[in-house]
Amino acid sequence: MLFFSFFKTLTQQTVTVELKNDISIRGTLKSVDQYLNIKLDDIVVLDELKYPHLSSVKNIFIRGSVVRYVHLPPDKVDRGLLEDACRREAMAQKGKAA
Amino acid sequence: MSFFGFDTTLPRDKSGGANNKGIFEHTNPFSEVAKARKLQAFQNKEEDVLDFDDTYDGLGDRLEEAGDDLNDDTFGGGAEGTNDRGGIGKDFDFFGNTAQVSNVIEEEAMRFNLQHTPREAAPAQPPKPKKTGYEKYQDPGYIPEIQAKSSAWTQAQAQAQAQASQPEAFRVNTARFAAPAPAQSHPQTMAPPSGTKMMSLEEVEAALLAQGQAAQAAQAAQAMHSPFPQPQGYPFPVQQMRPPQPYPPIQPPMQPPMQPPIMPMGHQQGPPPPRAGSPRRHNRMPSQPVQPVQPVQPSQLRPAQPPLQILQNPNRPRHSPQPSVDRAQGMPPYGPPPGVSHPQLMDLSDEQRRAYLEEDAKRAKRNHKIFMLSKGNGLMTPQDKNFITRIQLQQLVTATGTSADPNPEAALTEDFYYQVYSQIRGAPRQHPTQPLGHFAQTYLFQTGSRTGGGRRQHANGDNHMQRMQQQVQRAVEAAKLKPKNKQLIIEGSLGKISFSNAKTPKPLLNIKRQESSDARPATAKKEVSASDRKTILKNIEAVYTTLMRLEDHERTMPPPPTEGDADSIQAHLDWRQKMQELNSTLWQELKVLDPIVPGAAVPHPFIAFLSFAKGKKAMPRIFRLIDQEQRLTILTMIVVHLDQLDVTKDARLAPGETQPPPAVREEIELFSQAVMPCLLQYVNEAPINIVIGLLGLLIDQTNMATVAMTKIGLGMMTMLLTRAELLKESGAVSDPEWQQWTSLYNRLFDLLEPLLGSLFPGPVNSGDDMYIWQFLATIGIGASPEQQQRLVIGVKDRVMETVQQSKTLPPEMASVRLGNVNLFMRAIGLDVEMLG
Repeated sequence: MLFFSFFKTLTQQTVTVELKNDISIRGTLKSVDQYLNIKLDDIVVLDELKYPHLSSVKNIFIRGSVVRYVHLPPDKVDRGLLEDACRREAMAQKGKAA
Repeated sequence: MSFFGFDTTLPRDKSGGANNKGIFEHTNPFSEVAKARKLQAFQNKEEDVLDFDDTYDGLGDRLEEAGDDLNDDTFGGGAEGTNDRGGIGKDFDFFGNTAQVSNVIEEEAMRFNLQHTPREAAPAQPPKPKKTGYEKYQDPGYIPEIQAKSSAWTQAQAQAQAQASQPEAFRVNTARFAAPAPAQSHPQTMAPPSGTKMMSLEEVEAALLAQGQAAQAAQAAQAMHSPFPQPQGYPFPVQQMRPPQPYPPIQPPMQPPMQPPIMPMGHQQGPPPPRAGSPRRHNRMPSQPVQPVQPVQPSQLRPAQPPLQILQNPNRPRHSPQPSVDRAQGMPPYGPPPGVSHPQLMDLSDEQRRAYLEEDAKRAKRNHKIFMLSKGNGLMTPQDKNFITRIQLQQLVTATGTSADPNPEAALTEDFYYQVYSQIRGAPRQHPTQPLGHFAQTYLFQTGSRTGGGRRQHANGDNHMQRMQQQVQRAVEAAKLKPKNKQLIIEGSLGKISFSNAKTPKPLLNIKRQESSDARPATAKKEVSASDRKTILKNIEAVYTTLMRLEDHERTMPPPPTEGDADSIQAHLDWRQKMQELNSTLWQELKVLDPIVPGAAVPHPFIAFLSFAKGKKAMPRIFRLIDQEQRLTILTMIVVHLDQLDVTKDARLAPGETQPPPAVREEIELFSQAVMPCLLQYVNEAPINIVIGLLGLLIDQTNMATVAMTKIGLGMMTMLLTRAELLKESGAVSDPEWQQWTSLYNRLFDLLEPLLGSLFPGPVNSGDDMYIWQFLATIGIGASPEQQQRLVIGVKDRVMETVQQSKTLPPEMASVRLGNVNLFMRAIGLDVEMLG
C-alpha cells in the first residue's frame, strides 16, 4: 500500500498523469484509491491540439490501470521519508515471506 | 376476467407494451377493488333508476349460465342483474379496456393533431359518432347504457369500427358523447381524495342524472350546437350538457386551474380514463374511412370545431414527449384535459391563452419529471438503506485500514508514508493518527445529517448513527479476526487463485524465490572485498534497517517504572536491553571500529558509508540514538579521515576551476547540513582535551593541503579552533592544557601559512568565500601579534581586492562582502574602514 499511502499525501496538488495512450492530463489530484484510480479536477490536456476531445472536460476519473506515469511536484515529496517507507515495505514483505 | 368483465391484468401489461410500463407502479392495489365497488354501486343504482327491459339488448340470452352459481354469494344478489344484462361485465369495465386502447387513442390523437390543420380536422369530427354500434338505442326514451361511461370509448369503439358500415342516427352519437359526462365529473369530484375513495351515492346519482339528461339533451343537441359553442367554447356535447347538471362541483369551467395538481393522484381513479381519451378520440375517428357516410353531421359540429383545434394544437407540445403519452394512457386524468380548459381559455386573449397554455405545459412537464424521478421512491425501506450503508462502511473501513483499530501500529505499517508525512507537514484533512476513523466518521455524520434532516427525526437519527457505528466496529473486528486467506490452492490445479482484497488489490505476481537456487552465484562470490559500491550500499541499508527498528523501539518505550511495580520495572528493563542490543547492532553495522589500515587502497568502511548521500543523511538520526562515547568515536573517525572524505577529497579544485563539480557541491552541501551540525553539537560540549586531541589528530593524520582547500576541512578546523577559544574565554582551561593547545596551534599555523594565498578558490568575484573569512577570523583570534602580521601578509591581496571590488558592487552586495572581510579584520583588531 506504499503507493496508495504516498499518493494520499499528494491530494490537492497539481500532478500530471500520463496515460498509456500517451495523453497527458494535468490537474489537481482530488483523490486516489487503493487501485490507484485517480480523480483529477480542473484538468488540462497537455497536447490539446492533438487530443482536443477532452477540452471540455472539467474533471476526470482515471482508472488506475491505464496510468503510465504520474508526474509529481518534487517539493511535495519527502524523499527521506519515502525511502524509509520503502524500507519498511520491504521489511514487511520479507517478514511476510518468511 | 372477473364476472364484471374487468380485465384483471393491469393496464401496463396490456396493449401498450413497454411504453406504459411504470405508470402504475404506485397504484394502490386496493384501487381495483374500489373500482369494482364503485361499479357495483353504479349497477345497483341503475337498477333503481332504469328500466332495463327497455334497454335490454338480448345479449344476455346468449350468455352461458354455467358457473354462475356462486355469483349470489359473491355479489350479494347482484348476479341476477348481471345475468339479465348480459354484456354488463364488459360494459362496466371503465378502466381496463380503456387502458387497453387508450394509448392507441392517444397516439392517434397526437398523430392527428400533428398532421392535420384545424380546418381539416373540423369536418372530421362528426363522422365519428356515426360509427357506434348502438342502433338499438335509437329510442329517445332509452337511457343509453350508463356503464358506457367507460366502455363507450373502448369497446364501443371497437364495435363502432366493426359496424361502421351500418347506418345510424345521430342520437346514438350524442349518447356516446354523453357517456363521458359523468366520467368527466369524476375527476373533479373524486380526484382530491385518494384513489380508493368510492363514489358517494349523491355522486352516482348525479352522474346518472347527467346521463339521463344527456340522452334528452341529445335530442336538442342539433339545435344547441350553434348557440352554445360561443360562450362555452367546448365543442363536445359533453360540455353542452353540463349546465343542466345539478351538482355544482361538476362544473368544469371552474376547475381547470385546480386540476393539474391533482394529476399525480389521478391515475388511481377508475372512472376517469375516458376523460383523457375522449377529446382526442374525436380526432382519431376521422381517420376512419366512414367519414362520408353522414355528411349532415359535419355542418352541425363545425362551428364549434375551430376553438377545439386551436386549443388542442397548443397542447401538442405537452403531449408530444413519448412518456407523456404513455402516461396518459394509464393515468388518464394526467394534465388538464384540453377540453376542460377550453371554456375558460375562450375568454382570454390570445396572449393570455398562450401564456396559460405554456404554463400548463411547463407544469405538466415538471410533473412528469417529478414522476420520473419518483419512480423508485419507496422501493427501499429505511432498513434496506441502513443495511447497504453498513456494508459500504464496512468496506470503507476495511479497505482503508482500520479506523477502529486500537493499535495504531498496524495503520502505521500499512500507511507509513502518509501517516508520517501528515505528521510532519500537517495533514491535509485528516487527523494523522486516525485518519481513517475520521474518514468513516465524516461519512457517518454526513449520512446523519441526511437522515436526521427533519427535526422530528433527529434524536432517532443520532441513535441510529450510534448503532451503525457500533455495528461497523463490530464488523471490522470480525473481519480482522477472520484469518485472511489470500489465496486458494485447489488441488490438482496448476496455479493459485488469489483473492484480491482492499489492501492488496490484485497480487498479479506471486513469486516465491526458491532458497535453494541462488540466481546470481557469480556476483555473490566476490563480495569479500567489502568495499565495492554494492557492499557499501548494503551496509547502509543494514544501518537504516536497524535505525528504523531502533526508532520504532524507541516509540514503544514503556512508561517510566514506578516504585514497587515489578512488571513495569521489568518491562522497562526489557525495553532497555532491547534498545541496547539494537544499539550495538547499529554500531557494528556502522563499522566505525573496523581497523584502520594505513595507506589502504580502499577507504575505511565508515568513510565509505559517509561518501553516500544516504549515509550522510543517516548521521543525524544515528547521532540521536548513540551515546557520547560513540559520538566521539565517530567524530574522531571523521577527523582522522578528513582528507579522505569524498567532500574533501573530491572537492579539490583542478587548476582553473573555481568550484567543484555540481555533484560534489551537492554532497558538500549535504554534508555541511547533515553531518556538520552533529559534530558541531558534540564539539560545542567537548572539553579542551578532546579538542586538543582532535586537532592533534587532524594535524598529524591528514594532508593539510587537501583539508585547507575545502569547505568542509576549513569548517572542521574552524569548529575546533572556535571551541578552544570559547573554552579559554570561559576560563575552563588549565594552563598546561592551554600550552598544549598553543603549541598545536602554532604547528597548525605553520602548516597553513604557505597555503593562505591559495585558500580562496577563485578570483574575488567568485562568490561564496564567507567560510574562508570565518576561518581566517578564527585563526586570527588565536594568533599571536606576530602570527597576525603573517596572516595579514598572507591574505592582504585578497582583502584589498575584495574591498576594491565591493566598491563596484551594489551597496547590498558590497556590504555583505565587506562584512565578510571585516569578520576577519576585526578578529585581528582592524577594520575595513581603515583601508579607506
